[in-house]
Amino acid sequence: MDKKTGVYICSGCEIGKSIDIEKLSQVASEHNVAICKNHSSLCSVEGFDLINNDIENENLDRIVIAACSPRTKTEIFNFPENIILERTNLREQVAWCYEPGEEDTQMAAEDYLRMSITKVNNIEVPKPFIAENISSEILVVGGGITGITSAIEGAKAGYTVHLIEKEEKLGGWLNKLHKQIPYRAPYDTLTDPELNDRIKELGQYDNIKIYTSTTINRIDGQPGQFEVSLLVRQAGLQNGKEEKITVGSIVTSMGWNPYDASKLSHLGYGKSNVLSNVEFEELVKNNSVKALPKNILFIQCAGSRDKDHLPYCSNFCCGTSLKQAKYIRDLSPESNVFIVYKDIRTLGLYEEFYKEVQKDDQIFFTKGEIEEITEDNNNLKVNVKDTLLGEDISLSVDMIVLATGMVPAGTEDLNLNYRLGKGLPELKYDFSDSHFICFPYETRRTGIYAAGSLRAPMDIASSKEDATGAMLKAIQTIEATKRGEAVHPRSGDKSYPELYLDRCTDCKRCTEECPFGAYDENEKGTPLPNPNRCRRCGICVGSCPERVISFADYSINSVSAMIKSVEIPDEFEEKPRILVFVCENDAYPAFDMAGQKGLKYSPYIRVIPVRCIGSINKVWISDALSQGFDGILQIGCKPGDDYQCHFIHGSELTETRGENIQETLETMMLEPERIRTEFVEITDYYKIPNIINNYVEEIELIGPNPFKDM
Amino acid sequence: MIEVRPNIEFKKELKKISKSSLNECMQCGNCSVVCSLAPDDRPFPRKEMIWAGWGMKDKLVGNTDIWLCHQCGDCSTHCPRGVNPSDVFSAIREISYQHYAKPKFLGKILNNPKWLPVAILIPVIIISLILFMAGTLQIPEGPVNYSKFFPHAWLNGSFSFLWFLTIILGIIGLRNFREDMKKQNPDVKPKGNFIKNLFSIRKEIILHSNFGSCSAQKTRKIAHFLVFYGFILLLFVTAFAIYAAVTHNYPLELTNPFKILGNVAAIMLFVGIGIMITNRIFNKKDFGNSTYTDWLFLISLFLLTISGVIVEAARFLNWQLAYHLYFFHLVCVWFIIIYLPYTKFGHLLFRVVAMVYAASIERRLK
Repeated sequence: MDKKTGVYICSGCEIGKSIDIEKLSQVASEHNVAICKNHSSLCSVEGFDLINNDIENENLDRIVIAACSPRTKTEIFNFPENIILERTNLREQVAWCYEPGEEDTQMAAEDYLRMSITKVNNIEVPKPFIAENISSEILVVGGGITGITSAIEGAKAGYTVHLIEKEEKLGGWLNKLHKQIPYRAPYDTLTDPELNDRIKELGQYDNIKIYTSTTINRIDGQPGQFEVSLLVRQAGLQNGKEEKITVGSIVTSMGWNPYDASKLSHLGYGKSNVLSNVEFEELVKNNSVKALPKNILFIQCAGSRDKDHLPYCSNFCCGTSLKQAKYIRDLSPESNVFIVYKDIRTLGLYEEFYKEVQKDDQIFFTKGEIEEITEDNNNLKVNVKDTLLGEDISLSVDMIVLATGMVPAGTEDLNLNYRLGKGLPELKYDFSDSHFICFPYETRRTGIYAAGSLRAPMDIASSKEDATGAMLKAIQTIEATKRGEAVHPRSGDKSYPELYLDRCTDCKRCTEECPFGAYDENEKGTPLPNPNRCRRCGICVGSCPERVISFADYSINSVSAMIKSVEIPDEFEEKPRILVFVCENDAYPAFDMAGQKGLKYSPYIRVIPVRCIGSINKVWISDALSQGFDGILQIGCKPGDDYQCHFIHGSELTETRGENIQETLETMMLEPERIRTEFVEITDYYKIPNIINNYVEEIELIGPNPFKDM
Repeated sequence: MIEVRPNIEFKKELKKISKSSLNECMQCGNCSVVCSLAPDDRPFPRKEMIWAGWGMKDKLVGNTDIWLCHQCGDCSTHCPRGVNPSDVFSAIREISYQHYAKPKFLGKILNNPKWLPVAILIPVIIISLILFMAGTLQIPEGPVNYSKFFPHAWLNGSFSFLWFLTIILGIIGLRNFREDMKKQNPDVKPKGNFIKNLFSIRKEIILHSNFGSCSAQKTRKIAHFLVFYGFILLLFVTAFAIYAAVTHNYPLELTNPFKILGNVAAIMLFVGIGIMITNRIFNKKDFGNSTYTDWLFLISLFLLTISGVIVEAARFLNWQLAYHLYFFHLVCVWFIIIYLPYTKFGHLLFRVVAMVYAASIERRLK
């Protein structure tokens, strides 16, 4: 079918006052578009009908709407899926940020329209990748309270859930609890562990299949088609038989291990009657102590919030010690309980429980640091410094309980058959979190979600909430996969990377750089794409030196063509041109916000939005420099441990790829300053004018690109 | 380094008297921050609140800071957990009266409503005994003349003797208190003598300057000022009366300057006590919990003042009930001055001793 493009220019929202619309329309006619129309308000019913009628009557398949930012009015400019829509941002990034009526403003508007028309002529409507035999079943790994809750929630929503547990029975740590902290008002009485209730609830659902004494041999495949090989053992036996299931998505809830108390000899561990909180709980649970001793000391943050041990707060230990103090006093009214803490952290309404425990006259609290613990005749003498009592104190106690923290259990046991490793990638402190700023529950393995204390340290109540959230994400993945759509953060995107493997040199850059492990590879190193694992960030597009990876609507060619469509004034006009690659996630909205706030900046720039600055291919840089652009600015999200990058390490990649790009500059005999990378957060909109203007000034000092007019 | 052995009985008593849920203290330190008096070095009342929570009686009784607090209530007003540190301090002071009481039983009977009848019976019996010994245990005939009922020599002699006795007993208690304070500051050697240090805190006492910095209770300073100076004035007038009685110029005429001064003092006491009682009844939020000990002292001071005025009127008006009222008035006098070290009035002694000690170790308030 012939390409038939319609261009619609809006003169509303001050665009008409700022730009000569008639002159702009001529740009469209230069490009031989089928239709070019102006309207004073394209977002009105009349304006929309104007476009829609043309689509129906003139059989348009490509539309360029030159009006406001593509981030706005998406509910109005909503056309059938077979229509390619491109929105030229004349309002936020031209009319609102440049001086009206100026020559430079007009030139910017014209270039943006050229780029849009060029773009629509170089892209296609994405045809979704829809795999066959998509499974709607969900695997839950780990049968503790998180896994159990997740399974129940999935079953409630009508999905078949496979719940696997490596131990002989379900319940995890709940099996070892004597009592549980109350989770609802009035927070005053300890409850029995809820395990039996939860197991009973599990039994109510026919669509939950429970596998105990089961581990995972291997997981292959991708969302919608995970092939899981299980090893199901008979209770007590080492050998078992393999069982295979296919699931659409996975919730991992492998939980936590207590911090190794043997590393805490400075807090007395190893002396008699010094226990960890977990050991103490079991002691009471199993009735293995006849009478609780008279004086018991709890040491909070034992090995937590300590740079030599666990640097973080494990969240549950304060509550647990308060609970243990309370049942000690219930069981043994003669006992005194001492609690030495760094801070008592009972978040939210648990404060009520803290107050309740405080009411007891024989539970004593102080902030303090343990200085020394000595043992004589079954008596432990503890010296505490930095107390709030005004001086150091010494306590004689019969037993010490160390409130040790959580260490995530790790996810290696998933045995993922992924090029990038068997488990989920881990972030700070080894928790399998994904992106703690923007996206809770996400991991870097599409369709596999982490929940509970595997993801972050948390208590039972939070784990249950987390389990529900993760199950919801698992369900979303299955449904999105059925439609061939991406999940978070490009939810609904139907495009996926297409590889022209004939030209692939097996360099493995794409397989290494994909943050989501979408590519496996064969022995030769040729990438084996798994489109459903893909988040459509385009980092592979940026990685490929042979330029064989493209999306239907975001390709090497389409962006190159856009770059080449910009008219570069010759050097005597003294109008430099800077190409700005702007990340769509944070930086592009920041540009829009700058425009909305009326902030002004240099009109010498030309912005091209990219899916991630990690998706910028080197060829676009050389194309821009050969075209005569004087400088190139890449603006992306903040990299680093507390990253904002929506695709994990796209921004970091610009550093590692920087060398290659500098080589390109060297071969072209250009100054290294001609390329610059900047990082902004969405809220940094006020920094945009400075970033732009400073760079433009710098480039003006360096002088024009010698490749102009060549 | 102190070895901690919680005294749970003490903690329970403290909770009972103060009505504070002191366990709920989360040790945040807001109280010490808002306190307008607490020194920068080891400020109160947070550390005391924790000692209280840990039942550390030895640290609290015999503690200097407890008496440097003027109970303005700012700490209680700003406590996020509502544990009322100022009430806890007040309770600790109350326990201190009993702790240092010599003989012990007087401390006990004057701080417990259960023993109130005994506390009343003691002066009734002893005064009756003195009257019996003087041979005047009957209502005299003729115009009202109190010296017929209680000859001045007997009155002045016996009450002076008893007051002297009570002061000796009080001083024994105060010496113990001072020793305890020293024990709590083993590293600091007190400087200067008592008189010199007392002189150094004259401004605080005369001008009530520490009262002025409180923001929660503005009327307290004026009330205490009136009562304080009203009482001193009355003591002065009484001293003159004793002198006059000796020089046979008694009773005084209404126009006598001393008599006028005495009546002015009575009005000052009235107004002061009136403000105090009103605040305690109607403004519990700012003035905190009022205990039996608080009320016993306030009410007996009020009754002393009012009965004094009525007794004076009864003499001029020749009331038949004058002698009964006079007897009642003497019981009130007993409650205030003979029971001094054992009631809340003891704060006069304890506070001065603590302030002098604080001055000697150079523990300065803000």
